[in-house]
Parts: sequence; structure tokens; C-alpha cells
Amino acid sequence: MTPAGVLAGALTGFVLLIWVINLIRNGRLYVGYGVIFVFGTLAAIAVLVIPRLLETVSSLSVALVPVPSLSIGAIVIMLFLLVYVFTQITVLSNRVMHLTQELAIRGAQRQSHAHPETGEPR
Amino acid sequence: MHMPPGRRSLIAIPAHNEAATIRDVVGRVRAHLPDCDLLVVNDGSSDDTAAMLIDSGAVVAEHICNIGYSRAIQTAMLYAARAGYDRLITLDADGQHDPEQVRALLAEFDAEQLDVLIGSRYVRSRTYAGVPFGRRIGMQLFSALVGMTAGRRIYDTTSGLKVIGRRAFEPLTQWHFIDFHAEALVYLMRLGFRVGEFPVTVVERRHGRSMYSTISLLKYPLKTLLMLLLGVIQADLTRRRAS
Repeated sequence: MTPAGVLAGALTGFVLLIWVINLIRNGRLYVGYGVIFVFGTLAAIAVLVIPRLLETVSSLSVALVPVPSLSIGAIVIMLFLLVYVFTQITVLSNRVMHLTQELAIRGAQRQSHAHPETGEPR
Repeated sequence: MHMPPGRRSLIAIPAHNEAATIRDVVGRVRAHLPDCDLLVVNDGSSDDTAAMLIDSGAVVAEHICNIGYSRAIQTAMLYAARAGYDRLITLDADGQHDPEQVRALLAEFDAEQLDVLIGSRYVRSRTYAGVPFGRRIGMQLFSALVGMTAGRRIYDTTSGLKVIGRRAFEPLTQWHFIDFHAEALVYLMRLGFRVGEFPVTVVERRHGRSMYSTISLLKYPLKTLLMLLLGVIQADLTRRRAS
């Protein structure tokens, strides 16, 4: 890979990393999904910036899956799309969680009013 | 030892598939802590946990599906905040924690004027003797990380026995956590809340399964590490905005 390619790859990785971290921080991407993207991206950046590692991975991947270099672009686009899909799943899942919590709390409040001896605030 | 007058305490027990132990745990809590109210959060159990809780004397918050331990604790905290409780005490549903020890915890909590007090298995010995090697490494790592990022080392970051004061309800329900472990403690301590540890003893669980599967045991340290670092950023941003 050319130095310009390494730079472009590393920059794309950092953009993805910052985006994912911000999504997790804001609760828009579940940390269980986010952790895969974060550590996967860090590993990819490490491969890009360490020449010996890049050489080894390149020779192995070309031997196993000989693909044109342009396909890397497609993979990156898919990765960004995947993060977007996971944020939508997280947003929906957060709504289900809030609904579940609210229903549970209201049910508990009804019980404590019906049987004050077990749960009414003292 | 009696509860100080005027301070209302809620015991919260998050339960997921704990039919074998939950009734006994509820019975022991009611026997030892009659002046505390009791809430069991049944987190979408697929076994007979719900049936075991009928007429048990506990108020039950029923999650219609399993949404996880931290959300179950948040449900209890939201319930406690709305009902005006001053303290929330969390206990595990598997019977590992002895309700008798809660009195000493509450006394320490009040004496030290803390926001969170952790019932700690390791604060006295400060070693993790008897803990499997992999877990011991994780516990030492997170204990050290809490020390580095929050300025005070916490030896038992994964304890389910905690006393949480009313002041801490809001920050702990406004942000998201994995299991209210190291990441939540760092977040609170960076926000200026007072967190302490008090020695307790626990017994090994005899029934049911731990909430950590093999895959989650591999993912747990990575998730906690990430959330711990994000907790530092989030707490600092919150403080900056507030000032």
C-alpha cells in the first residue's frame, strides 16, 4: 500500500472511531455493538500503520482472498452503513427498555398503593 | 441497631430466573429488615420466579422482557426516586448476600455521609484469594483503573450489595451503564460523589447460573474498559457544562 493509501485508511479509521465513540456516549449505539467496532477499527489502524504487520496481513489475505484493492472502499462504506443500522436498532431497543421500565414501575406503584403494608413509603 | 428515624430505605432485588432462591431471600430480608420496604424487579424471568413472588410480601416490578441487570437497577432507582425514598439498597437474588449485614452498611453509610457504599468482599484482605485467575486479573485491573481515573481505589467493583443515596439517583438514571460496576463508580466519583467500601462476607451461589456467559465474559472487560473511559469523558463534560 502507498503512503497516501495508509494515510487515507488511518484517517477513515479515526473518523469511524470518533463517530462510534460519540454514538456510544450519547446512548445511540449499544456498547455491546460499539465495542466490536471500536476494537476492530483500532486493530485495523494498527495493521495499517505498522509496516511489517501490513505486509504479513496483505500477503495472507491476497493468498486467501485475491480481491481488487477497490473493494476496500466498498467494505468501508458497508462498515459505516452497518454502524448506522446498529444505531437504529439501539434507538428502537432503548424505546422498548424505557417502555418496559415504565410499565414495571407503574405496576409496582399500583401494588404498593393496594397493599401499603408491603411497599408504601414510610 | 435501628434505622435513623425519618430516613426511608428501599431494598431492591433484581431477579432473573431465580425461582429456586427468591422466596427465601425475600423472607430473610423481611425478617431482618422489617423497617425497610422491599421491591423485587423481575427482569423477564422465563422460570417460576414470578409465581414464587406471589404473596411473598414484596412489591414486584415486572419487566415484560429481559432488559438486563443495570436496567433492572435503574427501574428500582426510578421507583425509589418517585416514591421519595432516601436510600436504595441492592441485594442479589441468588442468596449470596446476608440481609443481616445491611444494618452495619447503613450505619456506615450514614456515619460517613456517603452517596454510594459498596458491600466489599475484598477491602479487608485487599487480595483476591480464591478468585479464579482470569477473574482475579480483571478485578485487579479494574480496581487499579478506578484508582487511576477517580483518585480512589475500589477493591470490589463488581459487588451487587450496595447502598445508594438519593443524591446519586439522578446521575445513575440519566446515563447508561453496563452493570453498575467500575464504569458507574468512576462516573460518580468524577462527578464529585462520595463512594466508599465496607467489608462484608458472601456465600457462594448454590442455585441458578451467573449472569455472565462464556462469550459475555470475553466481552465484559472490553465493554467495561470502554465505558469506564467514556464515563471519565462524560463526567468531565457534565461538570464543565454545570460550571
